[in-house]
Amino acid sequence: MLTCKELVARSSDLLDGELSFRERMAVRRHLMLCRNCRRFIKQMKLTQAVIRHMPESQGSDLDDLAAFLAQQRRDNP
Amino acid sequence: MGLPADVDLLPRLLAGEQGAFRELIGAYQGAMRAVAYAIVGQRYADEVVQDAWLAVVRNLSGFQGRSSLKTWLLTIVANTARSRLRQNRREVLLDDLPAPHGSVGDARFAEDGHWAATVPAWHEDTPEALLTEDELRECLEKTLLSLSDLQRSVVLLRERQGLELEDICNLLEISLSNVRVLLHRGRLKLFATLEHFEETGQC
Repeated sequence: MLTCKELVARSSDLLDGELSFRERMAVRRHLMLCRNCRRFIKQMKLTQAVIRHMPESQGSDLDDLAAFLAQQRRDNP
Repeated sequence: MGLPADVDLLPRLLAGEQGAFRELIGAYQGAMRAVAYAIVGQRYADEVVQDAWLAVVRNLSGFQGRSSLKTWLLTIVANTARSRLRQNRREVLLDDLPAPHGSVGDARFAEDGHWAATVPAWHEDTPEALLTEDELRECLEKTLLSLSDLQRSVVLLRERQGLELEDICNLLEISLSNVRVLLHRGRLKLFATLEHFEETGQC
């Protein structure tokens, strides 16, 4: 039986689908019985979603760069 | 932001349309920066990205569409970064830098390997709700900045840009096991930041 500590160590591989069938079954079995780990995995997924949703800072020079690159392209087709 | 479809964008780029370049930069510059950061570090990353854009424009007519534009751009930036890197390739250091709120370390577990204390529930359970707090956003940015260049890039390329682990290994020329370790430890640090904020309401 997997311990909670081992489950946490494998949690990223679970999220990324990098576990073997056997490991996946062991994780599933553990999660069925362990409320803390269920909560932890849910929160790890939420952490992923938060990072995905964080606004990305764009350089303020985006328009200048676009104008410059477009000009370069037109000059050197 | 939705990614522009290559078939739509390519002819407009070839025609030198400024709006098309704007879309391209808007969609992919973040990922390009992350790749450059990982290879040359923060100091040279902006220069490398600029050089890569010039290489993109120069080579646009030769783009065969065998890969997606995104993959092509990221390969160009990785190659540009590597040629910039004259010294020997940096070792992939798996030693962790401390993050502002730590990580999920051994102290959280009892000797039998089970949680020493209950994992606390969070008040909010959607990313949108969590991100309404400016302070939390800043706090997560701070945690991201506390990661090494390589670790931050791996986290951003995977979580924000949605790259496959294999693509990240190839772009950054590090092993899959290194990518997995860097990603996992980075995630645990971000998790610890969110957990701390949920518990205390503060960064």
